Amino acid sequence: MEQFFQQLTNGLAVGSIYALIALGYTMVYGVLKLINFAHSDLFTLGAYLGLTLLSSLLLVDRLGPLGGALVLAAMVMGLVAVAGALLDRVAYRPLRESPRLSAVVSALGASIFLQNTIMLIYGARYRVYPPDILPKASIHMLGVDIPLVRILILGASVIMMAGLFVFIQKTRIGTAIRAAAIDQGAARLMGIDVNRVILLVFMVGPALGGAAGLMVGLYYGQINFTMGWGYGLKAFTAAILGGIGNIPGAMVGGILLGLIESMSAAYLSFAWKDAIAFCVLILILIVRPTGLLGERVAEKV
Amino acid sequence: MKRISFVVLAMFIMLGSAHAAETVKIGLMAPMTGSWASEGAEMKQVCDLLAEQVNAKGGVAGKKIEVITEDDGGVPQTAALAAQRLAALKVTVVIGTYGSAVTEASQNIFDEQKIIQIANGSTAIRLTEKGLKYFLRTCPRDDEQAKVAAQTIRKLGVKKLAILHDNSTYAKGLADETKGLLAADKGVEIVFFDALTPKEQDYTTVLTKMKSFQPEMVFFTGYYGEAGLLLKQAKQMNWKVTFMGGDATNNPDLVKSAGKDASAGFYFLSAPLPKDLPSEDAKAFLAAFTKKYGNPPNSIYAVLAGDGLRVVLEAIAKTNSTDTGKVADYLHKNLKDFPGLTGKISFNEKGDRVGEVYRVYKVNEEGLFILQP
Repeated sequence: MEQFFQQLTNGLAVGSIYALIALGYTMVYGVLKLINFAHSDLFTLGAYLGLTLLSSLLLVDRLGPLGGALVLAAMVMGLVAVAGALLDRVAYRPLRESPRLSAVVSALGASIFLQNTIMLIYGARYRVYPPDILPKASIHMLGVDIPLVRILILGASVIMMAGLFVFIQKTRIGTAIRAAAIDQGAARLMGIDVNRVILLVFMVGPALGGAAGLMVGLYYGQINFTMGWGYGLKAFTAAILGGIGNIPGAMVGGILLGLIESMSAAYLSFAWKDAIAFCVLILILIVRPTGLLGERVAEKV
Repeated sequence: MKRISFVVLAMFIMLGSAHAAETVKIGLMAPMTGSWASEGAEMKQVCDLLAEQVNAKGGVAGKKIEVITEDDGGVPQTAALAAQRLAALKVTVVIGTYGSAVTEASQNIFDEQKIIQIANGSTAIRLTEKGLKYFLRTCPRDDEQAKVAAQTIRKLGVKKLAILHDNSTYAKGLADETKGLLAADKGVEIVFFDALTPKEQDYTTVLTKMKSFQPEMVFFTGYYGEAGLLLKQAKQMNWKVTFMGGDATNNPDLVKSAGKDASAGFYFLSAPLPKDLPSEDAKAFLAAFTKKYGNPPNSIYAVLAGDGLRVVLEAIAKTNSTDTGKVADYLHKNLKDFPGLTGKISFNEKGDRVGEVYRVYKVNEEGLFILQP
């Protein structure tokens, strides 16, 4: 039982990171029907910007661990949001009227460009966050030691996801985003500035991805310019699992994927955990082709 | 006027080709991008520095040497393209590359063109079992390493062992070899044998699972990035177990990732580190490297690439020829106990380096790598 709870917390921690990144994929897909391959590199960018700001501004020394981390998160999210907006302006907006395939190629190009830019600026070696930024305490619960930071990360991602959900469901701008996702033409006729909506989506999604990158950096400590690939692939899978284009779906999909991975690693084979996770994905897609919560695709037919 | 310019042009062409004939072209195939880009960058630094030193002394066999770097990206497909480009440039020798699967993709291309290839980090056994005349390597083979691993595990009195690899050709090969060597041994029980997925940041799931089998030692055959995270996360879980790594964990970045407290007590196998090399050549080279680039080389594989370049230059100088057949014969048969940066170098008929290369290292409290007796 102890192993079960330990693996449960492991799965939740990884899953919440997947979920945060998956939101970026799903929001862009929802509005543009485009898979933003460069999203995983914005996640990496978040991790690297966090490192730079942390070591240059000495935030933690000035504001204490929690305040420092919060200010840091806000700054990283802001900067990555700007990077996301630039990405849209440079790589996607000129291709808005072109066939969708051109935008996909542009997305792949942007991904390669970002990854190699990060490598050239920061170098190819692993970079390491300064240790002892966050408290090392852990909480003893249900027979397992859970590091406090893990709980904070899970809490922070849940808060961000809940915030996004309220923003999308309850505000006027959120309504505009949903409208643009359903039918861009009709939204435009209703007086919604669709280009601004898209810009906003390209800021909010990357901001969350950047926050995820920062959390990975703060908790695991080790970052590398290729780290986005693995997380991006898993997050993309999570988005499909939950129903791509659907925001609560990405959250559910991410957490679920993390749990499936950790449980199959625990009770089946560790080497096969990815294979098992993808088998579950295939099974779910056979039963529900639009993912767990994705229903909108059917409406459009 | 037209005629004059034609003559001038012809002279330039002749001069140009005469000039080109005076250099010995050395190809360096290295991962300049991709996950191993840090290895590639150092390989290039080492080879550039050596070429500079050799050229300052007048080159080899009366010719200057020229190092041409091609990026293999750490990926077999890219390596095949890089190999074709180097072959088209008519290089005499190619130094590299790091990963075994990557080297394998380029082996036949070079062999068909009779270009000598000296790999520096490709330790998979089968690479030299193909009978390729022009392939050699300065790094040892995995079976060599597995032998030392098994010896060390017995010597430390480990009764219950967990083996973890990462499904890469190299790591799985080493894990399988070690398992095979220990299978006959009644004293050591292998309680866990599985693979992790590289490039994930969170290895608490596999650690939790391994912990439930209560091994006394975990032998991880993968790379240093993952090893650092394993050590750090095991420490966070309050799991006190001895870790040992293969030679791919030999990198100071391991200590940075794991932190000094978590990496203390970590054993790993490796060719001797540059700092433990007694030879004057090695010390002088390290000093020159530090002077030029600001820090000593991190990776032993970069130094092994340098040794590849050095033995080839030695063979060209001794045979006074850039005929690759002669040079390859010299390397296989006549080169004996060449004073390399990483120790004495001789090759057997397969192109493998002869002699015991591996040592056991342990990380101390300050995060330094200490050679074990």
